[in-house]
Amino acid sequence: MSAAAPASPLAASVEAVLTALSEQKYVIERGLATAVFLAIRLEKPLLIEGEPGCGKTEIAKALATATNAELIRLQCYEGLDASAALYEWDYPRQLLEIRLHERDRTTAEVETEIYSERFLLKRPLLRALQGEGPARPVLLIDELDRADEEFEGLLLEVLSEFQVTVPEIGTIRATRIPLVILTSNRTRELGDAIKRRCLYAYIGYPTAEKEVEILRRRLPELPEQFAREIARFVQRLRGQEDLAKRPGVAETLDWASALLALGEGTLRSEPVAETLGLLLKDARDLETYRKERLDLLLASP
Amino acid sequence: MTGPVRFPAGQRILERLQGFLDRLREEGVRIGLAAGVDLGRALAAVPALDREAFREACRVTLAKSPTDLDTINRVFDEYWSTLGQLPVPPASEEGKVPRGTERRRPGGAIPPRARPPRDELPRETIEGRYSPRAPAMGHPLAPLPAVEIRRFRAGARRFRRSVATLPGRHWTRSPAGPVDVRRTARRGLRTGGEWVELSRRERAPRRADLVVLWDVSGSMREHTSQLFALVYALHRVIRRSRVFAFGHDIEEVSALFQGQPYVRALPDLAARLSGAGGGTQIAHCVAEFRRHWGAVLRPTTTVVILSDGWDLGDPAGLSRELDRLRREARRVVWVNPYAADRGFVPATAALKAALPFLDLLTSPRDFPRAHVARRLSVSSLAAA
Repeated sequence: MSAAAPASPLAASVEAVLTALSEQKYVIERGLATAVFLAIRLEKPLLIEGEPGCGKTEIAKALATATNAELIRLQCYEGLDASAALYEWDYPRQLLEIRLHERDRTTAEVETEIYSERFLLKRPLLRALQGEGPARPVLLIDELDRADEEFEGLLLEVLSEFQVTVPEIGTIRATRIPLVILTSNRTRELGDAIKRRCLYAYIGYPTAEKEVEILRRRLPELPEQFAREIARFVQRLRGQEDLAKRPGVAETLDWASALLALGEGTLRSEPVAETLGLLLKDARDLETYRKERLDLLLASP
Repeated sequence: MTGPVRFPAGQRILERLQGFLDRLREEGVRIGLAAGVDLGRALAAVPALDREAFREACRVTLAKSPTDLDTINRVFDEYWSTLGQLPVPPASEEGKVPRGTERRRPGGAIPPRARPPRDELPRETIEGRYSPRAPAMGHPLAPLPAVEIRRFRAGARRFRRSVATLPGRHWTRSPAGPVDVRRTARRGLRTGGEWVELSRRERAPRRADLVVLWDVSGSMREHTSQLFALVYALHRVIRRSRVFAFGHDIEEVSALFQGQPYVRALPDLAARLSGAGGGTQIAHCVAEFRRHWGAVLRPTTTVVILSDGWDLGDPAGLSRELDRLRREARRVVWVNPYAADRGFVPATAALKAALPFLDLLTSPRDFPRAHVARRLSVSSLAAA
């Protein structure tokens, strides 16, 4: 691992990151752009925490597109283990190989053969270390908080040394250090060891102005005044104390698209009530707001 | 990757940075050597004389939680604006804010307070603070005998087995899941080495996912020692557990239990609960819990509510909140200190409102005898 050779065009400056992501229609604040820039420049993983639906996963996709790199995604879940994340031996092929050569080769020869890279099923982490595209691959380890604590231990070697040890083969080192983005919704606290190895950024709910900008970038056909109305309404909704689940930016975009598809140009009570399910994903929230509070929210300045 | 860091301002900036890091450590931000090195490398990569770029580099490399981000912002403004007037404190562990104060919410149940030196901690802290509902009385926390602690620990293990929803290390046969190569090969011997049928396996559920909501209001004072032992045992036995203390508001106290022996966690918690003791607003606290920490609730989560059910809030509101809680979590268990008493009936308005949404109502004493606790079902109590 050599020190910070600016191979990626995004390693030049924070402005380069801002421009590149802006071209991908990703609205990014300078703070987060600095975090991305430092992650590229220092070759360190970037841990992004924040509210669901606020663009944590999206930033990895935008980075991969901006750098023309391969996006390798590892979606975390309970019970995720090395065989799904790192590698697994291709047992049926190994068995076939044994059968094919049981007469013409010695046991030692067959054993050496079947425990070679040819019989290794590469999972996302290993694939990221051996990326072959024109640019450093982007490895997205999504929703790490969903995985078990033991899985974090498995990640330590990958994230600090960028290598994987396969007992039968040896240590496989990264040909190029991937840009690693880890995301977490903070459903549990991640371990200190994993945090120590990462740079850190937090994405909260956007301000009204930023939300308007996101709407305008992602849905260029949306009139500015309508975008402002939508953003104001969503901001008011997010401010309600008793919501079970507050809508994220992803929900705002879905809702705006739905209103556009219905041919709406301003917020009216009836279509808003009909499409509120795109914003509120809890049955009781939906019932309460659709029946009782919708007009109040729409009438608020 | 770790070359020397060169700054345009020369060596002096390193001393100032060291003072800044020490100050952050004093404020409770956990900064290791590696993070300091990362900051140095980051400052070499960004225009360090640009104040905002400097600030962002500090935030990105030193923070590990949203609370850290706020602290860094505040200390950054204080330290780099008044440099020369502020005494730079020495790097020291003394006076460090305990980990339990992380993720503190405004208006929490427990007043923010720096931890006094350990040898000055009172075993019984009575001094309180104003509460709009009831006088704050603090919580008497006395250590229980070792045999009691062991009973709680054993009970917590049994409880973990009965509410386990997460896969453990052990494998069990399964119709789906990955192929069990050893078993398949062994069974293949019966058919002349041919793998006629693939055996599959999956991880057996052995681990639990737990959230404890602990009522620390005035009416629970006399049970605090016993409940502390119970919560401590649950937190030690169940790795994925979060503990929240509530009264008229709610606050996370998990960090006070992490990695602490029982005898040390006890005075730490006594110090933190010294201002607690006001009236209880269970519905409001459950709503606040879901609002701020709702993401911790999953279909695998068991929620344990430790409360006597004496509540100043609206029972209908409590029903509504527990209904939501019940739908978002796997199960809800209510531990009432009086549930094992002879002739106990859930007579308080809060308990009556809660009963339809509980999977189990039990007492702390029944936890060490989980088989008894399981028999004490909500339906039988409701019938009583």
